[in-house]
Amino acid sequence: MLKQYPTARFILQRGGWYFLTFLVAVTINFFLPRLGDNNPVDIIMGKAGSGLSTEAAKEKEEAYLKEFKLVKLNDAGEIVRDDVGKPVRASSFEQFVNYVKMSFSGDLGTSFQKYPKKVLDVILEAVPWTIALQLPTIAFGWIVGNLLGALAAYRRGLFDRFFFPGALFLSAIPFFVFGMLLVYVFAVILGWFPAMGGYASDIIPSFSFSFFGSVAYHYVLPFFSIFLILAGGQAIGMRSMGIYELGTDYIKYAKWLGLKEGRILMYLFRNAMLPQLTGLALSLGTMIGGALITEMIFSYPGLGMAMLTAIQNNDYPMIQGVTLIITVCVLIANFTVDILIGFLDPRVKAGLQMGGN
Amino acid sequence: MRDAKLSAAVGLPLALVAVTSLFVGCKKDQQTSDTNGFPRSQTLYLAGSQWGDPSTFNPLAESWQAAWPVGDRFNLMYEPLLAYNSLDGKVEPILGSLVSKNNDSLVVDINPAAKWSDGKPVTSDDVKFIFELGRKYKSAATGFAIEFISGINVDTVDNAGAKTERLSFLVDKKGRNNPLVILDLLQAIRIVPSHVFKDLLAKSGDNLDSVKKLKVDQNPVVSGPYTLNTYSNEKIVLERRDDYWGNAALHEGKLPAPKFIIHPIYKSNDHFAIALQKGDLDASQTFIPRIWMKKKDNVSTWMEKAPYFVPGALPMFIINCTRAPLNDKAFRRAMAAAINYGDIKELAVSGYSPDIQPGLIMPSGIESKYFNADEAKKNGVGYNLEAAKKMLADAGYKSVYKADGTLDYMTDKAGKKLPTLFIKSPAGWSDWEAMVTIAVKGLRTAGIDVREGFVDAGLYWPAKPSGDFDVLMDKPAASITPSLPWSRFEAVMSSRNWAPVGGDNKMNENQGRYNSPKAKEYNPKVDSLLKAIPLTNDEAALKAAYGELNNIFMQDQPAIPLVNLPEQFYEFSTTVWTNWPSEKNAYAPAQLPWVSAGTKTLWQLKLAD
Amino acid sequence: MKLLRNLLKSPMFVIGMSLFFGTLLFALLAPLFYNVTLDRVGEQYMSSGSGYILGTDHLGRDYVSLLIKGLRSSLYVGFVAGIIATTVGTLIGIYGGFKGGLIDDMLNMVTNLFIVIPQFVVLVLISSSMQEGRSLTLIGLIIGCTGWTWSARSVRAQASALRSRDHIALARMNGDNTLAVLIKHVLPYLLSYVFMIFIMQIASGILSESAISMIGLGPLDTQSLGIILNDAKANGALGDGVWWAFIPSTLLITVIVFALYLINTSMEGVFNPRLRRE
Repeated sequence: MLKQYPTARFILQRGGWYFLTFLVAVTINFFLPRLGDNNPVDIIMGKAGSGLSTEAAKEKEEAYLKEFKLVKLNDAGEIVRDDVGKPVRASSFEQFVNYVKMSFSGDLGTSFQKYPKKVLDVILEAVPWTIALQLPTIAFGWIVGNLLGALAAYRRGLFDRFFFPGALFLSAIPFFVFGMLLVYVFAVILGWFPAMGGYASDIIPSFSFSFFGSVAYHYVLPFFSIFLILAGGQAIGMRSMGIYELGTDYIKYAKWLGLKEGRILMYLFRNAMLPQLTGLALSLGTMIGGALITEMIFSYPGLGMAMLTAIQNNDYPMIQGVTLIITVCVLIANFTVDILIGFLDPRVKAGLQMGGN
Repeated sequence: MRDAKLSAAVGLPLALVAVTSLFVGCKKDQQTSDTNGFPRSQTLYLAGSQWGDPSTFNPLAESWQAAWPVGDRFNLMYEPLLAYNSLDGKVEPILGSLVSKNNDSLVVDINPAAKWSDGKPVTSDDVKFIFELGRKYKSAATGFAIEFISGINVDTVDNAGAKTERLSFLVDKKGRNNPLVILDLLQAIRIVPSHVFKDLLAKSGDNLDSVKKLKVDQNPVVSGPYTLNTYSNEKIVLERRDDYWGNAALHEGKLPAPKFIIHPIYKSNDHFAIALQKGDLDASQTFIPRIWMKKKDNVSTWMEKAPYFVPGALPMFIINCTRAPLNDKAFRRAMAAAINYGDIKELAVSGYSPDIQPGLIMPSGIESKYFNADEAKKNGVGYNLEAAKKMLADAGYKSVYKADGTLDYMTDKAGKKLPTLFIKSPAGWSDWEAMVTIAVKGLRTAGIDVREGFVDAGLYWPAKPSGDFDVLMDKPAASITPSLPWSRFEAVMSSRNWAPVGGDNKMNENQGRYNSPKAKEYNPKVDSLLKAIPLTNDEAALKAAYGELNNIFMQDQPAIPLVNLPEQFYEFSTTVWTNWPSEKNAYAPAQLPWVSAGTKTLWQLKLAD
Repeated sequence: MKLLRNLLKSPMFVIGMSLFFGTLLFALLAPLFYNVTLDRVGEQYMSSGSGYILGTDHLGRDYVSLLIKGLRSSLYVGFVAGIIATTVGTLIGIYGGFKGGLIDDMLNMVTNLFIVIPQFVVLVLISSSMQEGRSLTLIGLIIGCTGWTWSARSVRAQASALRSRDHIALARMNGDNTLAVLIKHVLPYLLSYVFMIFIMQIASGILSESAISMIGLGPLDTQSLGIILNDAKANGALGDGVWWAFIPSTLLITVIVFALYLINTSMEGVFNPRLRRE
């Protein structure tokens, strides 16, 4: 029946695979941290246990195990013990079932490390920072980079000769060192920009001009530390695509036909843009987990730092929560790209209509 | 057309910036203040005690969970009965004052002027509530108090006309029998409003665990000079309570100088230094290397030249005394002689320490009366490569070298090849990493096959109580309390809860398993001295006891102290606030004004002109 | 080969190759000529005027020695990661792209899974369960095993385009099985492309290693360019103006990666004549 609607079938098929990937990814992300030897309670007890008597320490440890649902509980809510009186640990599978049940009700669990904060709260507080740091940078970097790359492709010659190696060199610099250098030169030595933080420490977030102004002012250095290198990389890619397209037959044909330059450029960009779009969507998808180092350098309390501390402390619920968000974002981005390319790239469309895949 | 593209290229991202900063502005769990910002001349910026997101301000939560200033021992919001002054070793009054201390009880009078922020007085009910919480609820964070205090008697006395409640904390003679630790507790445990929490417990069906989960961040009932104004993942803001009872009763009616105290939460170590230099941070409790280079930016420390800081803690190598060859005291002493302490002092901690002396007693400050330089020379080992090599040779150990001259492995007396030893230390703590690296260099030069074993925090913390290490980098008994230096000896040498390495066995002190009670070399003197010292009040007897204990430590070397670091780092900026306590102006101890007897600094700060 | 001659005509190729091989040779041969030592030779952060060309680090060690050691480690990690990532990515990409259908969809799913799982979860997990902790080899392995995804995609795109080519169809009609076709016909055609991917993976491996070291998850007990940078940051070199702590290693990383990018672009130009300069 669906053979008559190749588009719908295409979307459903793709969507089906992505959903399957999602399920597998969530399961893997659940079991992965639990494969290690240390459970988070050991880490907490190591930090907080000094000076306690053995009895008191044991009681505390059991209280944590119970609170974090790492042990089996009987119907009365007490810990089930084995023959020697030790608490019986809940198997990974039981924990998984528990986790799935809770997720459906929207409860992603309570963080072990930031107890009693809920994982969802931590994520919701951190995500705006990560997005605020990355989204404009990626968008701007992509647009400017591609424009410059297209320019270089079209008008080769002197501009290209200098621009190209320059962009290449720029994109070879590790971006975090660039950020550190920017801080050093512009914040420490020259004092033109603040060295850290999302906004001035003496302001409370509100819908006021002074707040937005402070945010923008603090954003300049982090923005440039990522933007310049990103734009460089994009420009190079676009330049290659642009040159490639310029040499194709259809462009030559269009030129001979006498089409206006603007028209030609439009066709050129549309076709050269495709692989760049893929790159953009992928960047946006992985954006949530990226920029960890930039967050560290500029003290932005984003998701990257939250994830790093969670992993180092074996904070299972946090790790699960953050990886869940990343999974969802990346898969949605990939899915969108696949569909977009399906619509934009006429070759794929043709392939579909001919009944193949 | 190109212009259109250009303006789109510029306009779109700008719009995006505006939209995303909207996101940043929308936060939950924020208390809004009616002030639009915090004026710099009324705000004190302190940092170095809050590293992660503030999760709870509940004074009943575990001390490592609660955010600054509710966790640990801070006394800006909730106050303890007493405060310890690390400068002169005296106990100062806060909510209470110490009347007497002997081996049977400690007696404290509650200041009749002490009041909660809702107007109710601070009473013995509040004190008994928090100290005896462990009797009723197993999961109480202060549960360990009942191991030392068998009961609290309440009397009423007439103090110059004012009715005063007198509390007698009875030493549990059948249990731990340790009045010294009780004194520790009296200055560490903060008093909470029992009327508030009893109410919460009743509402929750007498479930302490669910009460512990409350955030207690909205208009909390406190007794201290400041209360919580607002907080986020970037900072915690306290506001001055002008009706604080202590202003009149303890500070002659004066108010603390800063109206707001803000603790910014930095994600990277170098931010503290940068902020101090720019005058955005007023004081910091972090390790900042080469602090003398920041003098030109108005950054100062307690002392104007080396060691800049007042020593208070001993980072050391804890040695696992159950593993060969570390179970051989000659081997341990040889290790101690092979470490270049001078390099560690200079390179790892920027010279922030006086020269280290052998033993567990610090040669300066309040402990110095127990330090005996002659005994240290006689019994202890300092850096001496030749002596180290000789000790190893005398004990029968041989070092086998590779063709290029580097160390390959060691053999013991029987000729058996010994495994490489690792010093476990958490990766990322730069000053500890430097110490371990320098120590390893010295050890290998002496022919001892040791390597750095940097591990993630997740592997380091559990390894400590379980004894899963050859050598562990640690800083036991790091807080300055009245029970020093006894608590340092207890943390390193006590066999009270001795359990071998393996299985589920965990030890919370003496993680190196020194002095096993089952072994034939067991020295009962150690434990008997550790039991006796808290009950000894005669100075001469104390000196003798500490001297003996320290000698045993130096001879057996179960741990190797590396350097004397301060208990709290203390660097401050005079750009905005001046009259900080310092060596020349020693009116308060060398620490940030937020714990123990250092809080009084807040009333003495002045604005710079 | 004609190919090589064409490549040598491109100035970018020559510059890139000489830079890269120059650095490689320097890393390999320098210890023979220079006294590489990790012992303390002076005070903390002595500047370059003190007799050591690039000064000393926070433990008083000579920076030239540290850079030489670090360079070797970083190049090693780059190669290990590059080889693994290229191999895995190419194999998956070719097989999936060529076969299409169900196999392609499944391999796509595997690729997506690897994109989704963050690199440092795997890194911390594996390193914490190993007694020796994080070695250079382990880090190279993990970077390689998590960084192949974009190569797989690119190769897959190329391979699926090849499916409909005439000589492939001919081979199939001749009765060769898939594996034979892949090896005899598809792979040689893609070889140049795969080599370019290899170059980029080395570059990406070196950059990833330095990023991982900056987070604090770098190799323990060794030097690498990323570790040098991390030490500089952790010891406050930035705030004190100790530029020799991080500029030289940054330059080294940038130069190597730049050289690799030059090689890559010049190869692109040769294999795709339209990209060449007129």
